[in-house]
Amino acid sequence: MPNTPTSRRLALQQLTDSALPTGAFAHSFGFESYMERGLVHDEASFGTWLAAFLGQQLTYSDALAIRFVYDGAPLAELDEQLSAQLLPRQVREASIKMGGRLLGIGAEVFPSPELEAYRALVTTGRAAGHQPLAFAVVARSLGVPLEEALAAYLFAAVTSLTQNAVRAIPLGQNAGQRLLRAAHDGVAAAVERAGTLTPDDFGAISPGLEISQMRHEKQRARMFMS
Amino acid sequence: MSTTTAAPAAAVGAPMGELALRVARRGGRSVAVHQFHQGALRVLRPHYLDDSGQLGYVMVNPGGAYLGADLYVVDVEVEAGASLLLTTQSATKIYRTPGSFAEQRMAIRLGEGARLELAPDQLIAYREASYRQDTRISMHPSSSLLMSEIVTPGWSPEGTAFSYEELRLRSEVRVESTGLPKGGGLLALDNVLIRPRLGASDVTGLGFMEGRSHLGSLLVVDQRVDQALAEELRAIAAAHGALSGVSLTATVGGTTGLMLRALSDSTEELNRLLAGCSTYLRRHWYGQEALDLRKY
Repeated sequence: MPNTPTSRRLALQQLTDSALPTGAFAHSFGFESYMERGLVHDEASFGTWLAAFLGQQLTYSDALAIRFVYDGAPLAELDEQLSAQLLPRQVREASIKMGGRLLGIGAEVFPSPELEAYRALVTTGRAAGHQPLAFAVVARSLGVPLEEALAAYLFAAVTSLTQNAVRAIPLGQNAGQRLLRAAHDGVAAAVERAGTLTPDDFGAISPGLEISQMRHEKQRARMFMS
Repeated sequence: MSTTTAAPAAAVGAPMGELALRVARRGGRSVAVHQFHQGALRVLRPHYLDDSGQLGYVMVNPGGAYLGADLYVVDVEVEAGASLLLTTQSATKIYRTPGSFAEQRMAIRLGEGARLELAPDQLIAYREASYRQDTRISMHPSSSLLMSEIVTPGWSPEGTAFSYEELRLRSEVRVESTGLPKGGGLLALDNVLIRPRLGASDVTGLGFMEGRSHLGSLLVVDQRVDQALAEELRAIAAAHGALSGVSLTATVGGTTGLMLRALSDSTEELNRLLAGCSTYLRRHWYGQEALDLRKY
């Protein structure tokens, strides 16, 4: 595959398209618990949750994990840390499930020795295979610069969550687009923040988000797996 | 009771306080086989709270509070089959630490079949305080850990909550087993980081403290931890007014962790909630009665 700005852009677009079959449509990452508590019920209240999730959990776990891959940190160690710090079971399992799908797709459409090495860790039980790590390995092997990779990953996460909210709350399609536009600044801030955080910051929890993700396990009526 | 040995090497400079404790099982009871303290950290005379043989130690900070650049180093080892309950005499208070931070480093090793209950009083960080707590726990897969923590909002003299600078409480639990690749694995990494005054982030809002002032955590690691226990503790926690959640870690080396997180408006409520959970475990697993530390 030729490595040009256009080829990289197309690859990144395919990897972060909401049609990429990783199963993101099945996960709310806890916003469904806020729906049950009546705290997320319209465009504004979902926007508040989305900003918190993006600025906190997505930044301190996913984005930072991607940066550490680009920094050259050992994958097995990062993988182990992600499994240990994603304390709500459904969130940990979602990351692994979506990571496994991404590893499989990546092997077929963007194969690389780096990706094979990570897949080998997973198939031999030495790694769980987390989504942000699978994404970072593929993006890095394609020569996508870190900041572009981070922005694309975060915006893809925000997009699938917003699409899920449009279906679940429900919200109008245009409300979804307004939410996505409003998330641009948050994504940019998260990219910048992820560049300055340290290994000590990795996986810093947000108590409210975490408790909601834990409570989702016992929620009676639910559309989502997390 | 204690043996004389050289002081453990200080990590950086001279710590403000140091404490080292090694507990072993001798004839059906747990006893301290090594005890060392220096500076502004010491322990009260150990005691047995019941006839289970579990040894109880109370940590004391005679200085009353942690200040800027203070480093406290605690090293605890519970040997095979021994059981230790480690508490504090009073709340851990962090005063102003301008341009610096107070730090506590704790290293814990639990041997085969060892048991540790770590139940410190609440943490209070006052105005302009920064504090780092780094806890590293290494467990044999057959050992048992129960660790609780309460973080208060640290009211300022003017009555403003969250006027401290930064709190970092990071705990790593590693399971050491010869049956695992690399000889062990990371089971849980709990990283509580609260920076009330950092930029646009609002720690009081949705997603973080959600309008509540106190944060409580309970981590249980034991081979007997399972989904049924998660349901029990979830039900116990739900009987209190706090907003709480419970979930299980992945299983590493045959043992599993349970994390309970709770948000509340009072230390007392969180104490009751956490005590409810620890009482259940004490009765259910060891046939012991509820903890009565006679200090509240």
